[in-house]
Amino acid sequence: MHDLLEIEGISASYGRIQALSEVSLRVPEGAIVALLGSNGAGKSTTLNTVSRLVPITRGSIRFAGEPIQAWPSHKVVSSGILQVPEGREVFREMSVRENLDMGAYRRSDAAGIKRDLERVFDYFPKLRERLRQKAGTLSGGEQQMLLIGRALMAGPRLLLLDEPSLGLSPVLVQQIFAIIQRLNKDGLTILLVEQNAAIALGSSSYAYILENGEMALEGPSETLRRDDSVRRTYLGG
Amino acid sequence: MIVTTSPATISPAPRRAASATAIAGLVIAALVAIALPAFTTGYVIYIANLLLVFVVLCLGLHIVIGETGQFSMAHAAFYGIGIYASALANRAVDLPYPFAMLFGALVAGAVGLFIGALALRMRDIYLALATFAFGEAMQWVFANWDSVTNGPNGLRISPARFGSLEILSDKQAYPFVVLFCVLMIGLTILISRSRLGRAFRAVRESEVAAMAMGIDVRRTRVIAFGLSAAIAGFAGGMFGLFQTFIHPDSLGFQTTILVLTMVVVGGLGSIVGAVGGAIVFGLISEVLRQAPQYQEIIYGGILILFMMYAPRGLFAFIGDRIKEVRRGQ
Repeated sequence: MHDLLEIEGISASYGRIQALSEVSLRVPEGAIVALLGSNGAGKSTTLNTVSRLVPITRGSIRFAGEPIQAWPSHKVVSSGILQVPEGREVFREMSVRENLDMGAYRRSDAAGIKRDLERVFDYFPKLRERLRQKAGTLSGGEQQMLLIGRALMAGPRLLLLDEPSLGLSPVLVQQIFAIIQRLNKDGLTILLVEQNAAIALGSSSYAYILENGEMALEGPSETLRRDDSVRRTYLGG
Repeated sequence: MIVTTSPATISPAPRRAASATAIAGLVIAALVAIALPAFTTGYVIYIANLLLVFVVLCLGLHIVIGETGQFSMAHAAFYGIGIYASALANRAVDLPYPFAMLFGALVAGAVGLFIGALALRMRDIYLALATFAFGEAMQWVFANWDSVTNGPNGLRISPARFGSLEILSDKQAYPFVVLFCVLMIGLTILISRSRLGRAFRAVRESEVAAMAMGIDVRRTRVIAFGLSAAIAGFAGGMFGLFQTFIHPDSLGFQTTILVLTMVVVGGLGSIVGAVGGAIVFGLISEVLRQAPQYQEIIYGGILILFMMYAPRGLFAFIGDRIKEVRRGQ
């Protein structure tokens, strides 16, 4: 399988603080790849360099073979890379329906948008029930669903998921990850950032572990799950 | 308010009720507007003209603060640019007055885009201060650029002409002022419901999410600022329809604060709030003119009361009370 996303030796910094140095990773088409690490290791920064919210100082980022590191962020979205930002960034004062409409902001194919809306309801039937409700009044789990649904409305080829388990109960985390698996089976490529290493390794095929802005470890998720040092450091036993 | 969205976006039943109320309100407003000249003196018509200009100023501020959530403390400056630019254009070329108004809007909009591109690198209080500084600078320019604005002596505005018709009184100007005000309300509703309007609100609610949806946030903020300035400039052109004189003193920070207060009192974020706020607060300030020594205190008091008891504005407050009463029955 060819690589949909290739990150090659990128560095990034916030002012004088080096956030990433020489990070490389690959996401093959059709895979779920996990990016793990502790708080502040640079996981979200890596996603933000791909969606062009954070500029890189070295290296290259290729999507479907094309270098994208000089693109503006809206062009990245148009090309099919959709980030689901962490921290429940829904449009709180807009209805669920308006939030979903915003997902299709850069599209003009009415038929395709309608089809994708039905698809979103298929994955998240709850959203259909809440269509007219203001997004700010949804529960945490429903907001996470809306975030993913909104990204799906853009017709993505690659989904960048930032901490989808954050602040959710274990049952809801299971539900969300079941849907992430389903999305992947239906053909969506996913780069997943998680602090919850157990569930991330359980649902991905390959994983990278960041430490202080540098790549510390990588390998098939199954192998990492059985690795003693990984278990001790990231899986709590 | 005119409702033209696709019915799927918003729940149909309450919308229909709301639009029925809105249409009834519009019809009443139209009747009052049409009947007004027949029953009143020139002074009342003058106040009505001025109120309608303030309605358009509020629409402009609504675009940038209400829709896009960006501070602008330079609204009086763009208004002033519109007044001077349309007055000078009207004097320079022999074309119907709407051309001069458009020229005023264009100049104000262009300056707005330029200032917006510079100032919108900042946000929140810094943006407020930067735009405030621009507003003060512009007032200084109005007062000192003698060769163009006639400086502190003020500028005489020659009468507006529509072909052979020359506007010489407030009553003559009134129908045109109403017409242009209605046009601007319509334009603002159109903008608000367009793709651009959706981008404005997305930026207001979450810049991160807006970026994640592929909205060019910086560009969107600058466009909002430019549009807001252009609408303020157009209001300046409307002012020239019935005014014969402009003095830089009336284009200072107080005017900006007055418009800001109108938008806040009416209700931030809604067009009804912006229009209604201009009319209600404009009338209040007209009444207060009888007691100028208390004017500022009462302005302040009203603002504090609204912040405490009706932070979403007068019309949201009334709407909530009506709902409560209905639920009570």
